[in-house]
Amino acid sequence: MRSSFSRNWDFWPLLLASIAVLLLVVTVAWREYTPEWQRQTGAFRTYLKGRGAYDAAAAVPDSVQQIWVPALSRVDRCISCHVNYDASISTLPDLPPLYRPHPDLPYMAKHPFPTFACTVCHGGQGFALDETGAHGLVEHWDDPLLTTALAANYGLTRAQLMESKCNTCHRHDDSTAGMDMINMAREIVDKKHCTSCHGLEGGGGLAASDLTYDGDLNPEMLDFSAVEGPKTTLKWEIQHFKSPQQVVKGSGMPNYRLNDEQARGLALLMMSWQRISFPPQYVPAARRRPPAVLPIVREVPYPPPANTDLGQRGRFVFMNRGCNTCHRIGGGKLIGPDLAGVAQRRSDPWLTAWLKDPAAVVAKTPDLQTWSHEFGDIIMPNQNLDDDGIKALIAYMKEFNQAGTP
Amino acid sequence: MALTSEKQRGVASRLSLRSGLTRLWRWITWTWSPASEREASTAIVENLWLHWFPAKIAAESFAWSYSLWLGAISAFLFLILTVTGVLLMFFYIPSTEQAYWSIKDIDYVVGFGWLLRNQHRWAAHLMVLVVFLHMLRVFFTGAYRAPRAANWLVGLVLLLMTLLLSFTGYLLPWDQLAFWAVTVGTNIAKEAPIVGEGLRFVLLGGTEIGQSALVRFYVLHVIVLPGAVLVLFAYHMWRVRRDGGMAVTDAAAASLGVPSETPPVPTKTYSLFGVTAGTSLETRAARPQSDEAGTFSSPHLSRRLMLVFLAVFAVSIVLSLISGAPLEEPANPILTPNPAKAPWYFLWLQELVAIATVRVGALTISGGLIGGIVVPGILVLAAAAWPFLDRSPLSAVGKWFPPERRLQNTVMCIIAIVILVLVLIGLLMRGPYWQLFWPWQAWPEMPRRL
Repeated sequence: MRSSFSRNWDFWPLLLASIAVLLLVVTVAWREYTPEWQRQTGAFRTYLKGRGAYDAAAAVPDSVQQIWVPALSRVDRCISCHVNYDASISTLPDLPPLYRPHPDLPYMAKHPFPTFACTVCHGGQGFALDETGAHGLVEHWDDPLLTTALAANYGLTRAQLMESKCNTCHRHDDSTAGMDMINMAREIVDKKHCTSCHGLEGGGGLAASDLTYDGDLNPEMLDFSAVEGPKTTLKWEIQHFKSPQQVVKGSGMPNYRLNDEQARGLALLMMSWQRISFPPQYVPAARRRPPAVLPIVREVPYPPPANTDLGQRGRFVFMNRGCNTCHRIGGGKLIGPDLAGVAQRRSDPWLTAWLKDPAAVVAKTPDLQTWSHEFGDIIMPNQNLDDDGIKALIAYMKEFNQAGTP
Repeated sequence: MALTSEKQRGVASRLSLRSGLTRLWRWITWTWSPASEREASTAIVENLWLHWFPAKIAAESFAWSYSLWLGAISAFLFLILTVTGVLLMFFYIPSTEQAYWSIKDIDYVVGFGWLLRNQHRWAAHLMVLVVFLHMLRVFFTGAYRAPRAANWLVGLVLLLMTLLLSFTGYLLPWDQLAFWAVTVGTNIAKEAPIVGEGLRFVLLGGTEIGQSALVRFYVLHVIVLPGAVLVLFAYHMWRVRRDGGMAVTDAAAASLGVPSETPPVPTKTYSLFGVTAGTSLETRAARPQSDEAGTFSSPHLSRRLMLVFLAVFAVSIVLSLISGAPLEEPANPILTPNPAKAPWYFLWLQELVAIATVRVGALTISGGLIGGIVVPGILVLAAAAWPFLDRSPLSAVGKWFPPERRLQNTVMCIIAIVILVLVLIGLLMRGPYWQLFWPWQAWPEMPRRL
């Protein structure tokens, strides 16, 4: 019997494996029972005791805290570390940032914590309990915490960047208190009649893309070759508003000569138009849209045929640059004036100067500025035409008289 | 261990303290100690837990270098998967609305949830790998030859089931990785002639991956496939004993001059239906498990298995501590990640599909049929038929890379290396737009929202 029983294989490997598993179990337990949030709350307790606030220290919770808003499908555990978010533990002045209560801003009364939680306004990953994960600065989380540093990348303040979050609910407001960037952008949208060409919420024109859910644009679908800095949708939007043709080659979108601030505001507005459904009680009453001054382009008709070769080339330029989106030749004004007989009304040098740079001609001609009120104060965008194109266009215009007939 | 021989007992009686401790130990752990080997064997066979094993096992079967214990490792990985899987079932919700968020909860707030999920994921990946290596081991040692051909076929089915188990589990987190990996996988299945479309429809419960697909994958993953694996695994193990243990014992018996085709011999084992057929106590062992040749399975096999289990368990924990199971953005059917990849064990098929896809101008001929159906189909059929086509001498069975089997082992090596290389290319070198990048080359920065 000794032959089979006395073999003592595997004793040492078994002992080593047992010790290894024991150490691993201890490691696992250590990792489980020393979470990051517990270190933070512990430090807060110590801090409060250091300032003599013993009652407050005792009130610091010792478990995962969360605000659960089923209506918004949000579980925000931010308050596991930011335990004093509602000043319920301590109102001491000069607390370190992590323990500081949420500032008592004018709109806080309408946005109570239990109804809105944190990430709806601030971004970030509410589920996570570690700092990097919770702040959403991780791969595969597309909704990062909107921080001052992040906003600075776009020349914005944190509050300005957060307006794009506010507007996911407030998109139908006329004007919203505290949302200066978005309010400014809304005014531009009205004044420049963006919906003459762009579709928006079932209305608007069909000559350009529908903007209803522009904020959901897949960043990979955008061409970043003319955009400087990090490849982000917001960067692209800002750049695109400043010079549409530079970012999208051959774009029919006019360059409205927006300044940086206006471009940023419009970009924030675009980013906010997302397909996020909120329960009705979260959505403020809809705005009353002003009646449309300009017609809405639902179809772009072909311009009339030309008789000469040069006129034919001019017609091609006319369609290629999208002139026919705004202008008709005969049949009355559209977004811009009817061009029938324009060559009789204006001289060749005037037309050439106009087509080269409309804004410069308007600046020099005071009566044109009052006249443009009729067209919603929109000045024709510079189409960057070359001399040949201008010559061909003028030749095309000359083929039609005041009545729009050859 | 607690069993002591007569002689040891004699020595112990001279030391009263030690004798007292020994008796105390025996009183705690054993109610009875065997007087003979026959009694010990009977004790093993009659014990509820120990009767899994034959009373005695040939010493050659214990060699690390022969089997690498890959079968035992697979079984223990399956055990870890079952235990972690059942625990995960308490927290996971198989709904398209809630699955992703329940996984986030498991990762962040369920007690030891991160460990359960990481371990489940690592054990699943390891099981695919180890079952494949187990198959390679059996092939390279020629252990699939008769009478073990039936078990080879069972093993092949178990390999396919392991892949299916892993694949069905892939969808459950309902993130982008899951959604698109399953999209790629089921689109490859669609390429099968005649049955492809129908098969995909039945698997998904429709034409698109949605709630019905999630429920079907869930039921397959937690009940149907594990149940089937368990039944087949039991048969696989019983079949090992019925066929006379591992092939290495045949080789050892042959070296001792025992004829390779021995008639069935009586042994202490069970058969599934042998009780009615009157053959319950017979196996086709090449060598009777005699007293001289055998090693008691208890404690030696139990202890070895405990060691293998502890090692597998430790490895799965270490991996879980180092690297977590991935969770990408929530599944979004209108946003394809770039690149969209199948699970790693199907990446060689995806590579084959990519290679076999021919583009002539605007015309694209999909390589799905060749890469997804023809090549893997031929490989599986060839593997199933091989035990019956193999004409190499039986003396080559039970040895690693014997010269008599050089050609077929070389071919198998090449197939395995090609599969491995294609998987590695797909895993490490396929970047955005399915372009090839060297591992040291940086992938282009993909744009983000903010």
